[in-house]
Amino acid sequence: MIIRKIQIDNYLCYYDTNTFELSEGLNIILGENGEGKTKFFESIDWLFNGENRQLDTLVSAKKLNETEIGDSFRVRVSLTAEQYGEKSIITKSFLVKKENINECSTSSYMVEGISENNSGERIQVDGQVLLDRIFPFQIRKYSMFKGEAELNIFESENALENLINLFSEAKHYDKYSEKGAFLRSKAENAVEDSSKSDKKNEVLYKRLETDILQLEHKKHTFKIHLNSTEDEIKKIEENLQDAERHVNNADALETINTRIRNKENQISNLFAKIDENYTTSLFDENWILVNFESFQKEFAEKVSKHSKARRELQSAFDKQKGVIEGEKKAKAELLNNAIPLPNNIPSKAIMEEMLNEQICKVCNREAKNGSEAYEFMMRRLKTYLESQAAEDSKPEKDEPLFKYDYTNRLDNLSISHEDNLKNLRLVRTKIKDLFEFNDDRKKDIEELNEQLEKEKTEREKILGNSSIAEEKLSDVLKNYNAWQKDLKNRNQDQVDYQTNLKNINSDLKAKKEEKDKIDTNSANLFLIKTRNILRDIETIFIETKEKKFDEFIEKLQTKSNNFFQAINIDAFTGTIIITRKTKGSRTTVEVELQEDGRTFYKPNQSLLTSMHISILFAISELASETKEENFPMIFDAPTSSFGENKTSQFLNLIFETENQKILLIKDFLYTDQTTKTLSIKKEFEAVRRNKAFWVKLERPFDQNNLKTINSQVITL
Amino acid sequence: MAKKDDILKSFLTHELLESKYSLKKEELPKSVREALNSEEPIIKAIALIVEGLDGTSPVTDSVLRNQVTQFLNEAL
Repeated sequence: MIIRKIQIDNYLCYYDTNTFELSEGLNIILGENGEGKTKFFESIDWLFNGENRQLDTLVSAKKLNETEIGDSFRVRVSLTAEQYGEKSIITKSFLVKKENINECSTSSYMVEGISENNSGERIQVDGQVLLDRIFPFQIRKYSMFKGEAELNIFESENALENLINLFSEAKHYDKYSEKGAFLRSKAENAVEDSSKSDKKNEVLYKRLETDILQLEHKKHTFKIHLNSTEDEIKKIEENLQDAERHVNNADALETINTRIRNKENQISNLFAKIDENYTTSLFDENWILVNFESFQKEFAEKVSKHSKARRELQSAFDKQKGVIEGEKKAKAELLNNAIPLPNNIPSKAIMEEMLNEQICKVCNREAKNGSEAYEFMMRRLKTYLESQAAEDSKPEKDEPLFKYDYTNRLDNLSISHEDNLKNLRLVRTKIKDLFEFNDDRKKDIEELNEQLEKEKTEREKILGNSSIAEEKLSDVLKNYNAWQKDLKNRNQDQVDYQTNLKNINSDLKAKKEEKDKIDTNSANLFLIKTRNILRDIETIFIETKEKKFDEFIEKLQTKSNNFFQAINIDAFTGTIIITRKTKGSRTTVEVELQEDGRTFYKPNQSLLTSMHISILFAISELASETKEENFPMIFDAPTSSFGENKTSQFLNLIFETENQKILLIKDFLYTDQTTKTLSIKKEFEAVRRNKAFWVKLERPFDQNNLKTINSQVITL
Repeated sequence: MAKKDDILKSFLTHELLESKYSLKKEELPKSVREALNSEEPIIKAIALIVEGLDGTSPVTDSVLRNQVTQFLNEAL
């Protein structure tokens, strides 16, 4: 849509009929302060949004003055637009009747519309309906901006959300995530009802439901805490940055802050490394056994003595009873009547290993298959295996000497303690090392704390060298240090909340899995399958919506940054970062200016304005893409903080952009101090534009007398 | 391509359909009409929802619920 013409009749400083024949592309309207720029903007705003009250305040005083008492005239603002080859004329007007000198009455306003098709046929239509059709209300909201402050449309939390609803595909997906959740929850209910009918798990099921509910509640609370902590962090960072602006040596301050942060991190890392859980280590790490070796030695000697005594008794018993004549006797003979070793020495595994390798590892000699030594080992293994089997399978004919083999258990215990002695001997070293390590870290921390104090003193010196009056300085210093401390604490809170959330999520997952398990065993299978599919469908709906939302934001961010770099060519800009945030059930969007991940909370006005304009241009470009239609943008004094040079660059840039833009600016005008005549500077010739106007008050005029005020429109 | 087909397409390109349901991208239906005849319950269920919300005659929550749940309960 293109605005072809604006006609203003008797609206404030616009006496009689004034016409602006506008062009596609860039239209620049120059004007000194108070000569009609803003009234032009306001007249269009009145046409679009004006209310039906205090209309007498919109009447041209000059026109009223020239009108005879009892006569009438119209105040009128009319817009001629072109869209898809059709012409539309929308006129808002009211009748003014002069009742007395300086007094008038007004009618209500009327909005007329004329639609003219390609063949020139004109139809009278409802003006408001026509306006909303060709230039929808939601888009008009993002098309007209008065001054630099209004450019920040993002101050309202809903602004970008509205934009996304207007221009992004994401809006189509809202209802899907809602319905997905609805269908899933109904399916969950069906499964739960079915599970509950199985009374077997009633108590456990109820407990799980309560636990899940409590965890969800806890999760929600932590999310709120996390969000508000993040907001607090931003606020503190903003305060710090604000204070830093007063500091003369900002670079040095930044460096020292980085050093302080590094030192603090080092200190907290060292603290994390110190392990002083000595009491726990007494048991968990077996520190309590540090002096165990002497006890073990005594124990081993006793066990050995006891074992020998037992074997002596057993041997004597065997011989005497002659029960196991063959093998045991033979063994005794073989051993020259010495006391035999227990059957399990060497162990079964060792015996098998020696047999496999055909080496006797006890005397370190070869024991080839068939050799005497090999046969001896084989017999010994057999004896051991038989001794193991005999207990269960072979019924004892006679009472054995020892009913239970506690001695063997004592033997094994002694051996296993012996094996463990090697580790226990290390405990002493471990304790010593740990104490030394902890002491060293404490010394490191002490040193770092000293360095940290020095850095902080240094920072105070830098802060002291500030541009703030001395009496306020101590406040700033006090606050600055307090904010730094707060920031550290809030950052820690943030980490804690994130950890808590992670833990809650994992607990929730476990509980839900447990509940699902009961469902699987208790509820109807088809209900479970339906629920599972609907869970997946909900995930698909939510994630697709988020994807569309993110795609839009990414596009907006890229386009905004392209404009931003172009407006601030060769100058420092930083990067516009647009992020999606979820606060409770709401999705919001935040805009920040960052450099290397660091947020600029208070950029200078010029940078801020160019950032806002860049985003607005990006939005306008997106509107063109998604609606397949261009809409005009009207800015009143958007670049007051720019300076003429930057304004020229800015105008040349927007000349390149596609849709129609109407800019009202006070630059490029020059007043001769001697003659007081106003003229346009030569530099304006170099400014690329499609059309330019100059609105200036007809001279002479009395600035204290509105009846002498008439803005003339000069087409340049 | 109709808006509802676009919407369906964006849902069907979700990685879950390939990773969990082993549905190959090239075999996925291109339109809601085609998806309504799919033998894959999840695809037909999504298509029912898209048709219910963006089709020629949008349906109420309870109708949508009946359509989708009944279909899934019978198909699975």
